[in-house]
Amino acid sequence: MSELKPTNRKAELLLEAVAEGHAAEVYAMDTVAGCATTFDPGWEVDPFGGVASLCQPMEADLYGCSDPCWWPAQVPDTMNTYPDWDAGKPSAQNDWRELDAVFPKK
Amino acid sequence: MPIRSVMTRLALCMLALPAAAGAAAAQPGAALVRTWCSGCHHEAKPGHFERISVIRKTPEGWVMTLFRMRQVHHLVLTDEVHDALVRYLADTQGLAPSEAAPARFALERRPNAQDLDLGPELGVMCGRCHSLARVALQRRDSDEWLKHMHFHVGQFSTLEYQASGRDRPWWQIASTQLPPELGKRFPFTTTAWSDWQKQPKRELAGRWIVVGHVPGGRDFYGTADITREAGGDYRARYALNEAGGAAIAGESHAIVYTGYEWRGRAALGGRAVREIFAANEDGSRIAGRWFDPEHSELGGEWTAIRADGAPQLLAVLPQALRAGTSGRVVVVGSGLGALDDAGFGAGVSATVVRREANLFEADVVVAADAVPGARALRAGAAAGQLIVFRQIDELEVRPAYGIARLGGGKLAPVAAQFEAIAATRLPGGALLSLGPVAAEWSTVSFDEEARRTSDDKYAGQMDPTGRFLPAVAGPNPTREYSGDNVGNLAVLASVKDGERTVDARSHLVVTVQRWVNPPIY
Repeated sequence: MSELKPTNRKAELLLEAVAEGHAAEVYAMDTVAGCATTFDPGWEVDPFGGVASLCQPMEADLYGCSDPCWWPAQVPDTMNTYPDWDAGKPSAQNDWRELDAVFPKK
Repeated sequence: MPIRSVMTRLALCMLALPAAAGAAAAQPGAALVRTWCSGCHHEAKPGHFERISVIRKTPEGWVMTLFRMRQVHHLVLTDEVHDALVRYLADTQGLAPSEAAPARFALERRPNAQDLDLGPELGVMCGRCHSLARVALQRRDSDEWLKHMHFHVGQFSTLEYQASGRDRPWWQIASTQLPPELGKRFPFTTTAWSDWQKQPKRELAGRWIVVGHVPGGRDFYGTADITREAGGDYRARYALNEAGGAAIAGESHAIVYTGYEWRGRAALGGRAVREIFAANEDGSRIAGRWFDPEHSELGGEWTAIRADGAPQLLAVLPQALRAGTSGRVVVVGSGLGALDDAGFGAGVSATVVRREANLFEADVVVAADAVPGARALRAGAAAGQLIVFRQIDELEVRPAYGIARLGGGKLAPVAAQFEAIAATRLPGGALLSLGPVAAEWSTVSFDEEARRTSDDKYAGQMDPTGRFLPAVAGPNPTREYSGDNVGNLAVLASVKDGERTVDARSHLVVTVQRWVNPPIY
């Protein structure tokens, strides 16, 4: 570790946290829980069988799922399959009521 | 030129070819495929179209395929041509009844159904995004399953770095290990399918006896008069009764795909109803699930047998009576002979008050000292049982794990229906199920974290029938991080049985919406 030097403020903070005995907290921050990690069971339920570790509010990150085709079986991917799904709805937090299901009801 | 542009141009070229849609829909199926699909799917030899001719699917599977052709490749089909293609493909490249059976729950859109277990690799590779039932409702050989893997990479290109794509050689697994396994589990050529194709398809017209159950609601029974229309589809006229309640009349128009897959659209008691049923192989029974087209989670069971069929007791409603009480019992079935009240055994007497060809109604009196247990009930050669019990000893809430979804705006909420199933303990110690009973319903936060975020306050509420009605979607500024009204809840059912109270609980996750809503999740 002594060979590595921080090159920005965030890296300095990480090193400080480790030096102060907060390595476990740093590790926890580094563990993505809630959005499609290797250990994540799905869009609906978090890795622990509840909802506490889902992205909240979901709308804050919804277009971060649809744009890069994340959870394509639940969220329409605007990358390939449904390019116009969110057209004219620039803010999921404000426009979520206008987002429609993609499969026809027929 | 980008592949997508090529595909679009091909589709547009193809669209210029067909004649008027009405004429096209009247063509034999292979000609329809040639006209509408061969612009992209090369007809390598007569009647054999690349990709299409080496896959078998359910009607819903073909609907999803055609939807994708429209959505992704800009294929323009009239509804008439679309429907004709689905009929042809489901009839000639469908699944045999025994092949579809294990995953019928997905076709029937049963809420909170436990998905299939296809082992850890398929569970991770496929089941992390969509149901494994969707996989199990298709038939392809190994080389075609490999193309299916390639399709996924092309269509959903970022899957490479999600869904367990990292930290393991996922593409090697997807491209070398899984296609042979899928080809072995779900091969294109099977004895079941070739036998089913040879078997003459059963005529379903006639009078049928129907019974059903609405979770959280009542049982129902009655008749369905099914006739064949000129075009080959079916019409069913229903005369139903809620057990202890009102008459319900209705009518359904149904297409039967693949010789047994009944897909009906009904108006029942003024409500629109979707029917996903299947006839059994000898055509003596039709069974499945019906549901509200706008809320597929809300529906019920449906079973029908031929009115003139072999002696069979289809339902006894209610199925259990408490010792020391009396009640009206309805017995429904085919080939019913005289009701043999001696068959009820000591301490139970019955007086028939109504008799029809396929139905008895009897006033049944159960003595206070009647011995608890299942009493044989006979109506001629048709046999069933009526349960006598003294007390409710145990309660179970079904489902044990449920999902509800927030809704609002253009997306309807998804409710979760629970039922309390009671059981009595017989003097010998055995438990005997009494079926669904009315209960008091409530929810509490499931665990410490849910209590901390007051999930029970925000996520929604139970109604008196055991149906959980989720709260409205969208960020809630009064919650931590302006979180949605999601919740991790325990569902509590409580039944008062004399001086005692019997309780049970279940687990409910109230979660966010989904916008991709195909007929097979």
